[in-house]
Amino acid sequence: MRRALVFALVLVLPLAAAAQELRLPNKDGSLKFAVIGDSGEPSSGQTAVAQQMNRWRARFPFKFSLMVGDNLYGSEGARDYQRKFSDPYKALIDGGVQFYAALGNHDDGAQTQYKLFNMNGQKYYTFKPQNGVRFFALDSNYVDQKQLQWLDKELAASGSDWKIAFFHHPLYSSGSTHGSADLQRGLIEPVFMKYGVNVVFTGHEHFYERIKPQKGVAYFIIGSSSKLRHGDLQKSALTLYGNDSDYAFMLVEIDGDELFFQTISDKGVTLDAGSIRRAGDVAPGQNVTTQPVVPQTKPSPVQPGPKK
Amino acid sequence: MRVTRWLVIAALASACSAPSATEQTTTEAALVQSEKKTSTDPAVNPDAAALADFKVRVEKYADLHKQLAKGEARPQETADPAKISSTKTALAAKVQAARTDAKQGDMFTPAARPVFRRLVASELKGEDARDTKAVLKDDAPATGAVPFKVNAKYPEKLPLPTVPANVLLSLPPLPAPLEYRIVGPHLLLLDTAADLVVDYLLNVVPT
Repeated sequence: MRRALVFALVLVLPLAAAAQELRLPNKDGSLKFAVIGDSGEPSSGQTAVAQQMNRWRARFPFKFSLMVGDNLYGSEGARDYQRKFSDPYKALIDGGVQFYAALGNHDDGAQTQYKLFNMNGQKYYTFKPQNGVRFFALDSNYVDQKQLQWLDKELAASGSDWKIAFFHHPLYSSGSTHGSADLQRGLIEPVFMKYGVNVVFTGHEHFYERIKPQKGVAYFIIGSSSKLRHGDLQKSALTLYGNDSDYAFMLVEIDGDELFFQTISDKGVTLDAGSIRRAGDVAPGQNVTTQPVVPQTKPSPVQPGPKK
Repeated sequence: MRVTRWLVIAALASACSAPSATEQTTTEAALVQSEKKTSTDPAVNPDAAALADFKVRVEKYADLHKQLAKGEARPQETADPAKISSTKTALAAKVQAARTDAKQGDMFTPAARPVFRRLVASELKGEDARDTKAVLKDDAPATGAVPFKVNAKYPEKLPLPTVPANVLLSLPPLPAPLEYRIVGPHLLLLDTAADLVVDYLLNVVPT
Protein backbone atom coordinates (compact mmCIF):
# COMPACT_ATOMS: atom_id res chain seq x y z
CA MET A 1 0.00 0.00 0.00
CA ARG A 2 2.77 2.36 1.08
CA ARG A 3 4.82 1.37 -1.94
CA ALA A 4 1.89 2.12 -4.22
CA LEU A 5 1.51 5.55 -2.67
CA VAL A 6 5.18 6.35 -3.13
CA PHE A 7 5.00 5.09 -6.69
CA ALA A 8 1.96 7.28 -7.38
CA LEU A 9 3.66 10.33 -5.91
CA VAL A 10 6.81 9.73 -7.92
CA LEU A 11 4.71 9.48 -11.05
CA VAL A 12 2.23 12.28 -10.40
CA LEU A 13 4.38 15.00 -8.85
CA PRO A 14 6.64 15.59 -11.87
CA LEU A 15 3.59 15.66 -14.13
CA ALA A 16 1.88 18.21 -11.89
CA ALA A 17 5.04 20.33 -11.78
CA ALA A 18 5.38 20.13 -15.55
CA ALA A 19 1.79 21.33 -15.95
CA GLN A 20 2.68 24.43 -13.91
CA GLU A 21 5.68 25.32 -16.07
CA LEU A 22 5.71 28.53 -18.03
CA ARG A 23 6.07 27.45 -21.62
CA LEU A 24 6.77 30.88 -23.08
CA PRO A 25 10.19 32.47 -23.73
CA ASN A 26 9.39 35.39 -21.37
CA LYS A 27 11.99 37.53 -23.10
CA ASP A 28 12.77 41.14 -22.25
CA GLY A 29 11.20 43.47 -24.80
CA SER A 30 8.74 40.94 -26.22
CA LEU A 31 5.01 41.72 -26.32
CA LYS A 32 3.18 39.85 -23.58
CA PHE A 33 -0.58 39.73 -23.21
CA ALA A 34 -3.46 37.56 -22.00
CA VAL A 35 -6.77 36.64 -23.65
CA ILE A 36 -10.08 35.90 -21.95
CA GLY A 37 -13.48 35.27 -23.45
CA ASP A 38 -17.12 35.03 -22.37
CA SER A 39 -15.74 36.21 -19.08
CA GLY A 40 -18.67 38.19 -17.64
CA GLU A 41 -20.52 35.59 -15.60
CA PRO A 42 -19.93 35.76 -11.85
CA SER A 43 -18.99 32.16 -11.10
CA SER A 44 -16.45 30.09 -9.24
CA GLY A 45 -14.76 29.52 -12.61
CA GLN A 46 -14.48 33.26 -13.25
CA THR A 47 -12.94 33.85 -9.82
CA ALA A 48 -10.49 30.99 -10.26
CA VAL A 49 -9.44 32.15 -13.74
CA ALA A 50 -8.88 35.70 -12.49
CA GLN A 51 -6.80 34.40 -9.58
CA GLN A 52 -4.72 32.20 -11.86
CA MET A 53 -4.14 35.11 -14.25
CA ASN A 54 -2.82 37.16 -11.37
CA ARG A 55 -0.68 34.30 -10.12
CA TRP A 56 0.86 33.67 -13.56
CA ARG A 57 1.42 37.37 -14.09
CA ALA A 58 4.00 37.25 -11.31
CA ARG A 59 6.04 35.00 -13.62
CA PHE A 60 4.95 36.34 -16.98
CA PRO A 61 4.39 40.11 -16.67
CA PHE A 62 1.70 40.71 -19.30
CA LYS A 63 0.66 44.34 -19.68
CA PHE A 64 -2.85 43.88 -21.07
CA SER A 65 -5.61 41.40 -21.73
CA LEU A 66 -7.93 41.08 -24.70
CA MET A 67 -11.60 40.34 -23.98
CA VAL A 68 -13.35 38.62 -26.87
CA GLY A 69 -16.90 39.50 -25.85
CA ASP A 70 -19.73 38.64 -23.49
CA ASN A 71 -17.93 40.79 -20.99
CA LEU A 72 -21.04 41.25 -18.83
CA TYR A 73 -23.87 38.73 -18.91
CA GLY A 74 -27.40 39.82 -18.04
CA SER A 75 -28.14 43.24 -16.58
CA GLU A 76 -25.54 45.99 -16.88
CA GLY A 77 -26.21 48.36 -14.01
CA ALA A 78 -23.38 49.99 -12.06
CA ARG A 79 -23.30 47.11 -9.59
CA ASP A 80 -23.01 44.62 -12.46
CA TYR A 81 -19.83 46.22 -13.83
CA GLN A 82 -18.37 45.76 -10.39
CA ARG A 83 -19.69 42.26 -9.65
CA LYS A 84 -18.98 40.86 -13.12
CA PHE A 85 -15.73 42.64 -13.96
CA SER A 86 -13.93 45.02 -11.64
CA ASP A 87 -14.24 42.88 -8.49
CA PRO A 88 -13.04 39.55 -9.92
CA TYR A 89 -10.20 41.22 -11.86
CA LYS A 90 -9.37 43.74 -9.13
CA ALA A 91 -5.85 42.44 -8.49
CA LEU A 92 -5.01 42.70 -12.20
CA ILE A 93 -6.59 46.15 -12.56
CA ASP A 94 -4.77 47.39 -9.47
CA GLY A 95 -1.58 45.89 -10.86
CA GLY A 96 -1.92 48.08 -13.97
CA VAL A 97 -3.21 45.51 -16.47
CA GLN A 98 -5.19 47.18 -19.26
CA PHE A 99 -8.23 45.41 -20.72
CA TYR A 100 -9.24 45.81 -24.38
CA ALA A 101 -12.77 44.60 -25.01
CA ALA A 102 -14.75 43.49 -28.04
CA LEU A 103 -18.53 43.26 -27.85
CA GLY A 104 -20.38 39.95 -27.67
CA ASN A 105 -24.05 39.30 -28.27
CA HIS A 106 -24.72 39.67 -24.53
CA ASP A 107 -23.02 43.07 -24.35
CA ASP A 108 -24.68 46.46 -24.47
CA GLY A 109 -23.04 49.04 -26.72
CA ALA A 110 -22.77 51.34 -23.69
CA GLN A 111 -19.75 49.30 -22.61
CA THR A 112 -17.82 51.28 -25.22
CA GLN A 113 -17.94 54.20 -22.75
CA TYR A 114 -16.40 52.22 -19.91
CA LYS A 115 -12.87 53.49 -19.55
CA LEU A 116 -11.54 50.19 -18.22
CA PHE A 117 -12.51 48.47 -21.48
CA ASN A 118 -10.41 50.94 -23.55
CA MET A 119 -12.87 51.12 -26.45
CA ASN A 120 -12.90 54.93 -26.69
CA GLY A 121 -16.61 54.95 -27.44
CA GLN A 122 -16.18 52.72 -30.52
CA LYS A 123 -17.69 49.31 -31.24
CA TYR A 124 -14.71 48.49 -33.42
CA TYR A 125 -11.26 49.96 -33.09
CA THR A 126 -7.57 49.33 -33.52
CA PHE A 127 -4.57 49.79 -31.26
CA LYS A 128 -0.84 49.26 -31.45
CA PRO A 129 0.68 48.51 -28.05
CA GLN A 130 4.18 48.06 -29.39
CA ASN A 131 6.01 48.57 -32.67
CA GLY A 132 5.36 45.74 -35.08
CA VAL A 133 2.06 44.48 -33.65
CA ARG A 134 -1.42 45.86 -34.31
CA PHE A 135 -4.73 44.66 -32.90
CA PHE A 136 -8.18 45.01 -34.46
CA ALA A 137 -11.28 44.68 -32.27
CA LEU A 138 -14.37 43.97 -34.35
CA ASP A 139 -18.09 43.95 -33.60
CA SER A 140 -19.12 40.60 -35.07
CA ASN A 141 -22.73 41.13 -33.96
CA TYR A 142 -23.20 43.78 -36.59
CA VAL A 143 -20.99 43.40 -39.67
CA ASP A 144 -22.29 46.21 -41.83
CA GLN A 145 -20.92 48.21 -44.78
CA LYS A 146 -19.43 50.82 -42.52
CA GLN A 147 -17.44 48.33 -40.44
CA LEU A 148 -16.18 46.40 -43.47
CA GLN A 149 -15.00 49.61 -45.12
CA TRP A 150 -13.30 50.67 -41.89
CA LEU A 151 -11.57 47.29 -41.58
CA ASP A 152 -10.33 47.45 -45.17
CA LYS A 153 -8.91 50.93 -44.63
CA GLU A 154 -7.25 50.17 -41.29
CA LEU A 155 -5.72 46.89 -42.43
CA ALA A 156 -4.43 48.54 -45.59
CA ALA A 157 -2.63 51.09 -43.43
CA SER A 158 -1.10 48.54 -41.06
CA GLY A 159 1.85 47.62 -43.28
CA SER A 160 4.06 44.78 -42.14
CA ASP A 161 2.90 44.65 -38.53
CA TRP A 162 1.62 41.47 -36.97
CA LYS A 163 -2.13 41.79 -37.51
CA ILE A 164 -4.21 40.29 -34.75
CA ALA A 165 -7.99 40.46 -34.83
CA PHE A 166 -10.28 39.70 -31.93
CA PHE A 167 -14.04 39.54 -31.77
CA HIS A 168 -16.85 37.37 -30.49
CA HIS A 169 -18.16 34.97 -33.14
CA PRO A 170 -15.72 32.25 -34.28
CA LEU A 171 -15.24 32.11 -38.04
CA TYR A 172 -14.24 28.45 -37.58
CA SER A 173 -15.55 26.28 -34.76
CA SER A 174 -16.29 22.67 -33.92
CA GLY A 175 -18.96 23.58 -31.39
CA SER A 176 -22.28 21.83 -31.58
CA THR A 177 -24.24 24.72 -30.06
CA HIS A 178 -23.08 27.47 -32.42
CA GLY A 179 -20.49 26.20 -34.88
CA SER A 180 -18.64 28.30 -37.43
CA ALA A 181 -20.01 31.78 -38.11
CA ASP A 182 -20.20 31.20 -41.86
CA LEU A 183 -21.98 34.43 -42.78
CA GLN A 184 -19.51 36.64 -40.96
CA ARG A 185 -16.69 34.53 -42.39
CA GLY A 186 -17.90 35.08 -45.95
CA LEU A 187 -17.39 38.82 -45.53
CA ILE A 188 -14.55 39.16 -43.04
CA GLU A 189 -12.17 36.42 -44.18
CA PRO A 190 -11.47 37.86 -47.66
CA VAL A 191 -10.41 41.15 -46.03
CA PHE A 192 -8.16 39.27 -43.61
CA MET A 193 -6.57 37.41 -46.49
CA LYS A 194 -6.10 40.46 -48.65
CA TYR A 195 -4.13 42.25 -45.96
CA GLY A 196 -2.45 39.31 -44.27
CA VAL A 197 -4.15 39.03 -40.89
CA ASN A 198 -2.09 36.48 -38.94
CA VAL A 199 -4.01 35.52 -35.83
CA VAL A 200 -7.65 35.67 -34.70
CA PHE A 201 -9.00 35.25 -31.16
CA THR A 202 -12.74 34.67 -30.67
CA GLY A 203 -15.20 33.27 -28.12
CA HIS A 204 -18.97 32.65 -28.15
CA GLU A 205 -18.41 28.92 -27.73
CA HIS A 206 -17.87 28.09 -24.08
CA PHE A 207 -14.75 26.03 -24.59
CA TYR A 208 -11.18 26.33 -25.84
CA GLU A 209 -10.31 25.27 -29.36
CA ARG A 210 -7.14 25.75 -31.37
CA ILE A 211 -8.08 25.53 -35.00
CA LYS A 212 -5.81 24.20 -37.71
CA PRO A 213 -4.58 27.35 -39.55
CA GLN A 214 -7.12 28.21 -42.19
CA LYS A 215 -5.75 29.78 -45.36
CA GLY A 216 -2.65 30.73 -43.41
CA VAL A 217 -4.52 32.37 -40.51
CA ALA A 218 -4.29 30.97 -36.95
CA TYR A 219 -7.62 30.84 -35.08
CA PHE A 220 -8.18 30.36 -31.36
CA ILE A 221 -11.50 30.12 -29.54
CA ILE A 222 -11.25 31.03 -25.89
CA GLY A 223 -14.82 31.33 -24.61
CA SER A 224 -14.45 29.48 -21.34
CA SER A 225 -13.18 32.15 -18.95
CA SER A 226 -16.36 32.18 -16.84
CA LYS A 227 -18.76 29.76 -18.54
CA LEU A 228 -18.34 26.18 -19.66
CA ARG A 229 -20.39 24.03 -21.97
CA HIS A 230 -19.28 20.51 -21.16
CA GLY A 231 -19.37 18.11 -24.09
CA ASP A 232 -20.14 20.81 -26.64
CA LEU A 233 -16.86 20.55 -28.53
CA GLN A 234 -17.24 17.95 -31.24
CA LYS A 235 -13.60 17.67 -32.29
CA SER A 236 -13.42 17.80 -36.07
CA ALA A 237 -10.96 18.11 -38.92
CA LEU A 238 -10.61 21.75 -37.87
CA THR A 239 -9.42 20.90 -34.37
CA LEU A 240 -5.75 20.88 -33.44
CA TYR A 241 -6.52 20.89 -29.73
CA GLY A 242 -9.69 21.39 -27.72
CA ASN A 243 -10.93 21.39 -24.16
CA ASP A 244 -14.50 21.80 -22.92
CA SER A 245 -14.03 20.63 -19.37
CA ASP A 246 -11.92 23.41 -17.80
CA TYR A 247 -12.33 27.15 -17.42
CA ALA A 248 -9.39 28.75 -19.20
CA PHE A 249 -7.43 31.81 -20.30
CA MET A 250 -4.49 32.32 -22.63
CA LEU A 251 -1.06 33.86 -22.29
CA VAL A 252 0.59 35.03 -25.51
CA GLU A 253 4.04 36.34 -26.33
CA ILE A 254 5.26 37.84 -29.59
CA ASP A 255 8.95 38.00 -30.23
CA GLY A 256 9.99 39.05 -33.73
CA ASP A 257 8.27 36.77 -36.22
CA GLU A 258 7.31 34.18 -33.60
CA LEU A 259 4.18 34.01 -31.50
CA PHE A 260 4.06 31.70 -28.47
CA PHE A 261 0.87 30.74 -26.64
CA GLN A 262 -0.01 28.87 -23.50
CA THR A 263 -3.56 28.06 -22.46
CA ILE A 264 -4.05 27.58 -18.75
CA SER A 265 -6.96 26.23 -16.74
CA ASP A 266 -8.64 27.65 -13.65
CA LYS A 267 -6.54 25.18 -11.65
CA GLY A 268 -3.30 26.53 -13.11
CA VAL A 269 -2.74 23.51 -15.34
CA THR A 270 -1.39 24.01 -18.84
CA LEU A 271 -3.94 22.71 -21.33
CA ASP A 272 -2.18 23.66 -24.54
CA ALA A 273 1.02 25.38 -25.63
CA GLY A 274 2.91 25.98 -28.82
CA SER A 275 4.14 28.56 -31.24
CA ILE A 276 3.65 29.81 -34.75
CA ARG A 277 5.89 31.72 -37.06
CA ARG A 278 5.14 34.30 -39.73
CA ALA A 279 6.23 32.89 -43.04
CA GLY A 280 6.72 36.23 -44.80
CA ASP A 281 4.76 37.91 -47.56
CA VAL A 282 3.19 35.86 -50.34
CA ALA A 283 1.32 36.93 -53.47
CA PRO A 284 -2.43 37.50 -53.10
CA GLY A 285 -4.37 34.29 -53.78
CA GLN A 286 -7.76 32.72 -53.31
CA ASN A 287 -6.71 30.27 -50.64
CA VAL A 288 -4.00 31.87 -48.62
CA THR A 289 -3.56 35.06 -46.69
CA THR A 290 -0.82 37.40 -47.85
CA GLN A 291 1.13 36.98 -44.58
CA PRO A 292 0.51 33.36 -43.55
CA VAL A 293 1.58 31.73 -40.32
CA VAL A 294 2.91 28.23 -39.94
CA PRO A 295 2.82 26.09 -36.80
CA GLN A 296 6.30 25.40 -35.46
CA THR A 297 7.45 21.89 -34.85
CA LYS A 298 10.13 22.81 -32.33
CA PRO A 299 8.95 22.40 -28.74
CA SER A 300 7.89 25.40 -26.68
CA PRO A 301 10.55 26.73 -24.36
CA VAL A 302 10.07 25.55 -20.83
CA GLN A 303 10.68 27.73 -17.79
CA PRO A 304 10.79 26.03 -14.40
CA GLY A 305 7.59 25.92 -12.37
CA PRO A 306 7.10 27.84 -9.13
CA LYS A 307 9.20 26.81 -6.18
CA LYS A 308 7.32 24.70 -3.68
CA MET B 1 11.83 36.95 -82.35
CA ARG B 2 10.04 33.69 -81.67
CA VAL B 3 11.69 33.43 -78.19
CA THR B 4 10.62 36.96 -77.34
CA ARG B 5 7.04 36.15 -78.33
CA TRP B 6 7.04 33.06 -76.09
CA LEU B 7 8.47 35.08 -73.21
CA VAL B 8 5.66 37.61 -73.57
CA ILE B 9 3.05 34.84 -73.68
CA ALA B 10 4.58 33.16 -70.60
CA ALA B 11 4.61 36.43 -68.69
CA LEU B 12 0.96 37.06 -69.56
CA ALA B 13 -0.04 33.53 -68.56
CA SER B 14 1.79 33.87 -65.28
CA ALA B 15 0.07 37.17 -64.55
CA CYS B 16 -3.32 35.61 -65.27
CA SER B 17 -2.84 32.50 -63.13
CA ALA B 18 -2.56 34.29 -59.76
CA PRO B 19 -5.13 36.84 -58.70
CA SER B 20 -3.63 40.29 -58.82
CA ALA B 21 -3.53 42.61 -55.84
CA THR B 22 -6.18 44.75 -57.48
CA GLU B 23 -8.61 41.89 -58.17
CA GLN B 24 -11.96 42.37 -56.43
CA THR B 25 -12.48 40.19 -53.35
CA THR B 26 -15.85 38.61 -52.60
CA THR B 27 -16.28 41.17 -49.83
CA GLU B 28 -15.70 44.04 -52.24
CA ALA B 29 -18.16 42.45 -54.67
CA ALA B 30 -20.71 42.10 -51.84
CA LEU B 31 -20.27 45.76 -50.94
CA VAL B 32 -20.83 46.81 -54.56
CA GLN B 33 -24.00 44.69 -54.66
CA SER B 34 -25.12 46.15 -51.35
CA GLU B 35 -24.68 49.69 -52.64
CA LYS B 36 -26.76 48.86 -55.71
CA LYS B 37 -29.53 47.22 -53.70
CA THR B 38 -29.82 50.11 -51.29
CA SER B 39 -29.09 52.94 -53.70
CA THR B 40 -31.33 56.00 -53.64
CA ASP B 41 -30.52 56.70 -57.28
CA PRO B 42 -33.56 55.90 -59.46
CA ALA B 43 -31.26 55.14 -62.39
CA VAL B 44 -29.76 52.22 -60.43
CA ASN B 45 -32.55 51.01 -58.18
CA PRO B 46 -36.31 50.73 -58.84
CA ASP B 47 -36.90 51.08 -55.06
CA ALA B 48 -34.94 54.32 -54.91
CA ALA B 49 -37.86 56.59 -54.01
CA ALA B 50 -38.96 54.55 -50.98
CA LEU B 51 -35.37 54.15 -49.80
CA ALA B 52 -34.61 57.86 -50.27
CA ASP B 53 -37.61 58.72 -48.13
CA PHE B 54 -36.48 56.20 -45.49
CA LYS B 55 -33.01 57.75 -45.53
CA VAL B 56 -34.41 61.23 -44.90
CA ARG B 57 -36.46 59.92 -41.98
CA VAL B 58 -33.63 58.07 -40.24
CA GLU B 59 -31.26 61.00 -40.74
CA LYS B 60 -33.84 63.32 -39.21
CA TYR B 61 -34.01 60.96 -36.23
CA ALA B 62 -30.21 60.91 -35.93
CA ASP B 63 -30.13 64.73 -35.96
CA LEU B 64 -32.73 64.86 -33.20
CA HIS B 65 -30.75 62.33 -31.19
CA LYS B 66 -27.59 64.42 -31.60
CA GLN B 67 -29.37 67.53 -30.34
CA LEU B 68 -30.69 65.67 -27.31
CA ALA B 69 -27.46 63.89 -26.41
CA LYS B 70 -26.08 66.83 -24.52
CA GLY B 71 -25.35 67.70 -20.89
CA GLU B 72 -26.26 64.82 -18.59
CA ALA B 73 -27.46 62.83 -21.62
CA ARG B 74 -24.16 62.98 -23.50
CA PRO B 75 -22.43 59.59 -23.62
CA GLN B 76 -18.78 59.94 -22.72
CA GLU B 77 -15.97 57.74 -21.57
CA THR B 78 -15.96 57.16 -17.83
CA ALA B 79 -14.57 54.77 -15.25
CA ASP B 80 -17.80 55.12 -13.28
CA PRO B 81 -20.44 52.62 -14.44
CA ALA B 82 -23.13 54.54 -12.54
CA LYS B 83 -22.50 57.43 -14.92
CA ILE B 84 -23.00 55.14 -17.92
CA SER B 85 -26.40 54.04 -16.60
CA SER B 86 -27.54 57.54 -15.64
CA THR B 87 -26.51 58.95 -19.04
CA LYS B 88 -28.47 56.27 -20.83
CA THR B 89 -31.54 56.83 -18.64
CA ALA B 90 -31.37 60.60 -19.16
CA LEU B 91 -30.94 60.19 -22.92
CA ALA B 92 -33.85 57.75 -23.18
CA ALA B 93 -36.10 60.10 -21.19
CA LYS B 94 -35.22 63.06 -23.44
CA VAL B 95 -35.82 61.07 -26.64
CA GLN B 96 -39.12 59.71 -25.33
CA ALA B 97 -40.23 63.20 -24.33
CA ALA B 98 -39.29 64.64 -27.70
CA ARG B 99 -41.13 61.91 -29.60
CA THR B 100 -44.40 61.53 -27.75
CA ASP B 101 -46.25 61.53 -31.06
CA ALA B 102 -44.02 58.88 -32.64
CA LYS B 103 -45.86 55.84 -33.93
CA GLN B 104 -45.29 52.64 -35.84
CA GLY B 105 -44.67 53.35 -39.51
CA ASP B 106 -42.88 56.68 -39.03
CA MET B 107 -39.73 55.08 -40.46
CA PHE B 108 -41.04 51.93 -42.09
CA THR B 109 -43.71 53.78 -44.03
CA PRO B 110 -46.34 51.89 -46.07
CA ALA B 111 -44.23 52.59 -49.17
CA ALA B 112 -41.04 51.27 -47.55
CA ARG B 113 -42.53 48.11 -46.01
CA PRO B 114 -42.73 45.96 -49.14
CA VAL B 115 -39.19 47.00 -50.08
CA PHE B 116 -37.79 45.88 -46.70
CA ARG B 117 -39.77 42.63 -46.85
CA ARG B 118 -38.34 41.94 -50.30
CA LEU B 119 -34.79 42.81 -49.28
CA VAL B 120 -34.90 40.51 -46.24
CA ALA B 121 -36.65 37.70 -48.14
CA SER B 122 -34.00 37.78 -50.86
CA GLU B 123 -31.40 36.70 -48.27
CA LEU B 124 -33.50 33.80 -47.08
CA LYS B 125 -33.36 32.02 -50.39
CA GLY B 126 -30.48 30.22 -52.02
CA GLU B 127 -27.29 28.80 -50.57
CA ASP B 128 -27.03 31.10 -47.54
CA ALA B 129 -30.65 30.59 -46.44
CA ARG B 130 -29.93 27.83 -43.93
CA ASP B 131 -27.06 29.74 -42.29
CA THR B 132 -29.14 32.91 -42.22
CA LYS B 133 -32.00 31.17 -40.45
CA ALA B 134 -29.58 29.56 -38.00
CA VAL B 135 -28.12 32.97 -37.06
CA LEU B 136 -31.61 34.37 -36.55
CA LYS B 137 -32.27 31.63 -34.00
CA ASP B 138 -28.84 31.74 -32.33
CA ASP B 139 -29.23 33.11 -28.79
CA ALA B 140 -32.31 35.00 -29.97
CA PRO B 141 -34.63 36.39 -27.31
CA ALA B 142 -38.22 35.15 -27.30
CA THR B 143 -40.47 37.48 -29.27
CA GLY B 144 -42.76 37.85 -26.24
CA ALA B 145 -39.89 39.26 -24.19
CA VAL B 146 -39.33 42.23 -26.51
CA PRO B 147 -41.88 45.08 -26.55
CA PHE B 148 -42.95 45.87 -30.09
CA LYS B 149 -43.92 49.40 -29.17
CA VAL B 150 -42.42 52.65 -30.40
CA ASN B 151 -40.44 54.48 -27.67
CA ALA B 152 -40.37 51.36 -25.46
CA LYS B 153 -37.09 50.36 -23.81
CA TYR B 154 -35.37 47.26 -25.15
CA PRO B 155 -35.12 44.99 -22.08
CA GLU B 156 -31.72 45.44 -20.45
CA LYS B 157 -31.21 41.80 -19.52
CA LEU B 158 -31.87 40.40 -22.98
CA PRO B 159 -29.07 39.71 -25.46
CA LEU B 160 -29.14 41.74 -28.64
CA PRO B 161 -29.72 39.28 -31.45
CA THR B 162 -26.92 39.14 -33.99
CA VAL B 163 -28.04 40.32 -37.41
CA PRO B 164 -26.98 37.97 -40.23
CA ALA B 165 -24.24 39.82 -42.08
CA ASN B 166 -25.78 39.12 -45.51
CA VAL B 167 -29.15 40.53 -44.37
CA LEU B 168 -27.41 43.59 -42.99
CA LEU B 169 -25.69 44.26 -46.30
CA SER B 170 -28.99 44.03 -48.13
CA LEU B 171 -30.63 46.71 -45.95
CA PRO B 172 -30.10 50.48 -46.27
CA PRO B 173 -27.20 51.69 -44.08
CA LEU B 174 -28.21 53.58 -40.95
CA PRO B 175 -26.69 56.60 -39.26
CA ALA B 176 -25.47 56.11 -35.68
CA PRO B 177 -26.93 55.32 -33.19
CA LEU B 178 -29.57 53.42 -35.17
CA GLU B 179 -29.24 49.68 -35.79
CA TYR B 180 -31.46 46.94 -37.16
CA ARG B 181 -32.27 43.87 -35.09
CA ILE B 182 -34.40 40.90 -36.03
CA VAL B 183 -36.39 39.31 -33.23
CA GLY B 184 -38.28 36.22 -34.32
CA PRO B 185 -39.84 37.19 -37.65
CA HIS B 186 -39.92 40.92 -36.86
CA LEU B 187 -37.56 43.76 -37.77
CA LEU B 188 -36.72 46.32 -35.11
CA LEU B 189 -35.15 49.72 -35.61
CA LEU B 190 -33.27 50.45 -32.38
CA ASP B 191 -31.64 53.52 -30.93
CA THR B 192 -28.68 51.65 -29.44
CA ALA B 193 -27.44 54.58 -27.34
CA ALA B 194 -30.80 55.02 -25.58
CA ASP B 195 -31.95 51.38 -25.98
CA LEU B 196 -35.26 52.53 -27.45
CA VAL B 197 -37.48 51.00 -30.09
CA VAL B 198 -37.69 53.64 -32.82
CA ASP B 199 -39.91 51.65 -35.17
CA TYR B 200 -40.66 48.05 -36.10
CA LEU B 201 -41.95 46.02 -38.98
CA LEU B 202 -43.82 42.85 -38.21
CA ASN B 203 -43.41 39.55 -40.05
CA VAL B 204 -40.58 40.68 -42.25
CA VAL B 205 -39.00 37.21 -42.20
CA PRO B 206 -41.03 34.84 -44.35
CA THR B 207 -42.08 31.63 -42.61
